[in-house]
Amino acid sequence: MRLKNMMIALAGLATLGGCSSGDEAGDAGVVNLYSARHYDSDQALYDRFTEETGIAINVMEGRPDELVARMTSEGENSPADLFIAADAGALWRAQQAGLFQPVASDTLDQRIPANLREPGGNWYGFMRRARVVAYDPARVQPEEIDDYAKLATPRFRGRICVRSSDSVYNLSLVGALIEAWGEERAEQWVRGVVANMARQPEGGDRDQIRAVGAGVCEVALTNSYYYIRMASGDDAADRAVTDKVALGFPSLDGQGAHVNISGGGVARNAPNRDNALRLLEFFASADSQRHISANNNEYPASPDVPAPAPVDAYADFTAHPMSVAAFAARQPQAQSLMSAAGWR
Amino acid sequence: MVAALAGLIVLLPLAGVLLAALGTDSADIAGRDIARYALTSAWLALLVGVFIAVSGTVAAWLVAMHRFPGRGVFAWALALPLAVPAFALAYSYADLFDVAGPLRMGLRLYLGFDLPFSMRSTGGAVFILSAAFYPYVYLAMRAAFLNQSVNVLEAAAMLGCNGRQALWRVALPMARPALAAGVALGMMEVLADYGAVQFLSVQTLTTGIVRAWSVYGSTASAARFALPLLAAAALLLWLERSGRKGRTHETGRGRWRQFEPQPMSKLGGWLASAYCLVLLTAGLLLPVGWLIWNLGASAPDWGRLAGAMQNSLGLALAGAVLTVLLATMLALGTRRLPLAGRIASLGYATPGAVMAIGLLAPAGVIWSLNPGSGAAIAIVLLLLAYAARLMAAALEPIDAGLARVTPSMIHAARTMGRTESSAALAVDLPVARGAMLTAGLIVFVDILKELPATLILRPFNFDTLAVIANNYAIDERLNQAGPPSLLILVLSLPTVIWLTHRIALARPGS
Repeated sequence: MRLKNMMIALAGLATLGGCSSGDEAGDAGVVNLYSARHYDSDQALYDRFTEETGIAINVMEGRPDELVARMTSEGENSPADLFIAADAGALWRAQQAGLFQPVASDTLDQRIPANLREPGGNWYGFMRRARVVAYDPARVQPEEIDDYAKLATPRFRGRICVRSSDSVYNLSLVGALIEAWGEERAEQWVRGVVANMARQPEGGDRDQIRAVGAGVCEVALTNSYYYIRMASGDDAADRAVTDKVALGFPSLDGQGAHVNISGGGVARNAPNRDNALRLLEFFASADSQRHISANNNEYPASPDVPAPAPVDAYADFTAHPMSVAAFAARQPQAQSLMSAAGWR
Repeated sequence: MVAALAGLIVLLPLAGVLLAALGTDSADIAGRDIARYALTSAWLALLVGVFIAVSGTVAAWLVAMHRFPGRGVFAWALALPLAVPAFALAYSYADLFDVAGPLRMGLRLYLGFDLPFSMRSTGGAVFILSAAFYPYVYLAMRAAFLNQSVNVLEAAAMLGCNGRQALWRVALPMARPALAAGVALGMMEVLADYGAVQFLSVQTLTTGIVRAWSVYGSTASAARFALPLLAAAALLLWLERSGRKGRTHETGRGRWRQFEPQPMSKLGGWLASAYCLVLLTAGLLLPVGWLIWNLGASAPDWGRLAGAMQNSLGLALAGAVLTVLLATMLALGTRRLPLAGRIASLGYATPGAVMAIGLLAPAGVIWSLNPGSGAAIAIVLLLLAYAARLMAAALEPIDAGLARVTPSMIHAARTMGRTESSAALAVDLPVARGAMLTAGLIVFVDILKELPATLILRPFNFDTLAVIANNYAIDERLNQAGPPSLLILVLSLPTVIWLTHRIALARPGS
């Protein structure tokens, strides 16, 4: 009966597979990128890389753990050359799954500070994001939030907004506290913050910032770029919120704010290993870091690359020198601790 | 034989899940948390089940049996919320009713009061998911009511039943398989949902699954968390099936006649219109209106969206055809083995993350045999994954449709010299045609909205609208998530409208 139509549909599908695959290789070859970063501006970066090198980029975007699972499942036949993600924890888990190969690159070693890369050369961070606070300057003095420890004190009882412990950024922050203070003190801190919550965790980082603007709470934990994006974006309502809300940089033990990374590593079975390394070095170039920073509002990883506008207005802070690999490995521990303390 | 093959395809990922659950690694998630997740999942599914059963049935009864202002439009428009992904509804409602959103800020500023509820709560999730899933019941019940012979209702009237009694004593009991099918689908969707509840900060068993997998890296633990969900789905399907047992209604005996919708009183008519409008507003007009209102703040990349649209359309079309074909074979082949059909439906209640784990096991074998993993293989795998995941959506309506084939109809065909399979072609398929179209519609729009399988199995440089919408939402760019979500709606709209018309026409005897 409708068999003919079905055949036509299936034939159409075959064409679909054919025209969208993007497997075609230029003279300089290809590089297959598994990306857990989803930013429109990244595409412009890929285009520039292809223009400069003639190497075509095939992209597979996905959530980090699904990409890791897919690479694991693909095994030795995995087409993946480079895996990039926007959280050190995701990179660490990929490393645990045995999906990276260590690479040695003078270029990368030169551009990326030692604490922002994995000591064995398995993965490298090329952008930084600080997990800091947005606060209401009418009700909170800057010196009241200049230390993470102060967020857990009774001063802020019922005054803190924060998202759930499902957020990897919260897990990384608490992982860093465990690394710096040990489990017992980190747990006390977590319990203090839970006691200080103005409401059960809900929404994303931007929602916390907006809640501060709406007077629901006085202080919110947030990643730096969400605030910068709201403050410099096209949305008038968002800009109105950030007029009333300030960005503050608490310090951990007086050594600086907690920073996470966007980074990547070369896949263990990469069929185009050299191209993968070239792409990673390209991401770490000064131009690329500036491009990403200007569009996505993360901070450049290289100390000698100044942040472009609008990020430059928020770039004057000290970053904690802790190795990202150290807190990344503590995410599971952080999750257990936070769940036990009732941080949903 | 063919049914066995269809069954195998569908069961592979489930086998993968069970296999994964046997693993030894485990996640450190406290029993207290697991209990809380499970309780929330159960409440959510139960409440949404009740809400969609009532609201969908009332709407179907009104539209199928009565004349009231706007009925012609509501008949198809009430199915439209199916075209909106549940996660998009969640974005829209959460944003619209956010404590710092323009609505509540305005209310506080000008009227001095705040709304006494939050969309980011279990109650909010019940409301949003009910608004998203009532069309499952509405569509199934409308088809069921339309397919009931007028003779039965006339007989009820002659025996002194008024309209309401005819509903309670005749039409509803006869339509029970359809009701059970619609409610079961809706509840399984709720159990498997991650996108919407996660956005609403409601922690369900799927939260535990994602936590186990992405924080503790334990696929075994994640798969084990899915087992109670699968058990719940199996229970739902078993209840539905056992309710149907021994209740064949041979309504075809009397001659079938066109049913004339009954006029309502003026007030009754307007109340009916108002009811349908409220349902449509909750499921479509309000949330989609808010997404459209916010379009101005987005800067869509039209080229990328156009490519994704083409991909979404092609996948949905091919996936719907394949899934309905497999489902029909399964339904015909397993009529005497109801259990097999039930098991094949479990994929629907399997949360995306777990389904991904289950899919990757068989996919891994194929990848290891085919170095390079070409795009064609990836697409075929993806289509099979859709069939496995969405089998219930196709199987339920087709099964319900086939249930209307009475033994006497088959016997008649057999006495006329038909073989068993040709009797199936001559009798079953024509009767089940409307149901197959319903199935195709549901699978088509489900694939347009589908995320987990698409995310994990698609080839390089291959985005769908749902994937793009999800990427923006993850990055908290909700304005940007609007255009792809709305495009999904645009693609689904004509299909939903066309197919609801077809369902009406597929009435036997017309």
